[in-house]
Amino acid sequence: MIRSLLVTFCTIILAGPAAATDKVTLMLDWYVYGSHAPFYYGKEKGIFAAAGIDLDIQEGRGSGITTQAVAAKSAPFGYVDIPTMMRAAVKGAPVIATGVLLQTTPMSAMGFVERNIRKPEDIKGKTVVYTPGDSLSQIWPLFLKKTGLKEIDFKTLSGDATTKFNAVINGQADLLLGYFMDQSMRIKDATGRNVYPIKFADYGINLVNSGIITTKDLLKDNPDLVRRMMAASTRAILAAVKDRKGAAESILKASPKGGKLDTLTEGFELTIPLFNDPTKKSKQPFVVSDQNMADTVSIMVEYGGLEGTAKGNPRAFYTNEYLPKGLPL
Amino acid sequence: MALACVRLPYRLRVAWLEPLSFLILLGISWDVTIRLFGIPRYQIPTPADVVIALCHEWPMLLAEASPTTLATMAGFLLSAAFGIPVAMLIASSRLVESYVFPLLVFSQSIPKIAIAPLFVVWFGFGMTPKMLLAFLLGFFPIVVSSVQGFKSVEPDMLDLARAMEATRLQIFRMISLPHALPAIFSGLKVSITFAVVGAVVGEFVGSNSGIGFVLQRSSGTFELATMFAALFVLALIGVTLFWILHLIERLAIPWHAGQRQEFIIAA
Repeated sequence: MIRSLLVTFCTIILAGPAAATDKVTLMLDWYVYGSHAPFYYGKEKGIFAAAGIDLDIQEGRGSGITTQAVAAKSAPFGYVDIPTMMRAAVKGAPVIATGVLLQTTPMSAMGFVERNIRKPEDIKGKTVVYTPGDSLSQIWPLFLKKTGLKEIDFKTLSGDATTKFNAVINGQADLLLGYFMDQSMRIKDATGRNVYPIKFADYGINLVNSGIITTKDLLKDNPDLVRRMMAASTRAILAAVKDRKGAAESILKASPKGGKLDTLTEGFELTIPLFNDPTKKSKQPFVVSDQNMADTVSIMVEYGGLEGTAKGNPRAFYTNEYLPKGLPL
Repeated sequence: MALACVRLPYRLRVAWLEPLSFLILLGISWDVTIRLFGIPRYQIPTPADVVIALCHEWPMLLAEASPTTLATMAGFLLSAAFGIPVAMLIASSRLVESYVFPLLVFSQSIPKIAIAPLFVVWFGFGMTPKMLLAFLLGFFPIVVSSVQGFKSVEPDMLDLARAMEATRLQIFRMISLPHALPAIFSGLKVSITFAVVGAVVGEFVGSNSGIGFVLQRSSGTFELATMFAALFVLALIGVTLFWILHLIERLAIPWHAGQRQEFIIAA
């Protein structure tokens, strides 16, 4: 009896370090939507566990808040809008992107299909609702410039995310500024009706969007964790792309009120093309090209309130060094 | 020789100096705390940054303070106009009290920010939802204090008035209302500060103008100094309206113990 107890004790002690995992929180940019599916899928299929990561996914309340939470080390990793992270970084937040997932912007002006607003000229005389201070409201003037529209051509209303959503559903506004794979799906869930998004990217707006960020301290103190997190995230993306419905289902298993299966799947499917590098230099998820980031910084300096000095060193905002090699899409 | 002099002018100077010095002390402590703990600027701005932002953005902040103040005052006046009569009803009827008061308390626990977006859906963008939110937040303190005030009238006084064949209107005008006024004003003063919050919540959810709009925009762009400057302006609005009410209270109930000035008698 004593011998078997000793054997068990020794087995636990010897097995202990080998089975140790890092408890890691990934804080999302917003409440869960289709684009987040790979992280839930990776957790469900044990991809993160195989990398020694016990992943806890927390829904966020905006990229700004998530960036501040990561900067304050309340969460080691965040999934945020990278241009928003840049605005915090120039103000001293010690954060950096370790992988940029959405390499084309999903920003759009969207309204119900039946309103027939399909081109920028159709926006004239309509009502657009936006949230002041968010990334879309910052880039909207660039969209107006690129499409030849002026502020006097349409009416604007402003409100928080819920008000934006309600305003379009209830007809107080014709269009809202949002991500074409996020609010469009929520509107479809609520009303059963499709929306048509006028995509900013179609009008020459080259801007990256969401990616994973962490603190510069973590890169120094625990580079191994960062590498494992990015490798697991890359594998999770690749696996989720091959099983889109399964990826959407994994959201609902973790968060039953997270949405509806059809629209979560559709939202994820709409996100997948954004993983591709528009400059065609990278073929792997998260690996962003210098050109794409330089273009993003340039736009953010001109329209996003980023300090002009940021143009001189776009590499201060991101690194591809912690990403695995040889895992193409 | 007995000498009585009114210390009012001196007292007034001291009255303003004390909170101002305390504010300055708080500002110094804030600055020292930031330096001591190395708190970065993107988390909390320094007092100096906030003062600079106030100076630079003063015209914009003043312009945006106007719709917030209007919404606050409109909502507050509505809450006073409805709150005081409702309090009279509750105080005068046990039946009304037993039906209405528990529901009022129940409704107070509902977070107004949760239903604020619905107000925008029902009433549209603009002043109405802001005014209604200011009204909803300001209503309860007025009712509670006013009920307390109306119920605190001494029964003996009421009996005496009835014995002297005073009408209900005379009893209300000469006894109930004057006795309740101190409590009513107390409720009004609390209510006006809540009404400011209500107006700002309304601006968060659906408005193109106001201090709430400035707060939302500056929070999104990490302009924390501007955000704190806007908060300062909001606090100023609250203090100013509170002070105006205080002045009205001094005119309305100069006889109340809380309004008496101190006199110095020196021999």
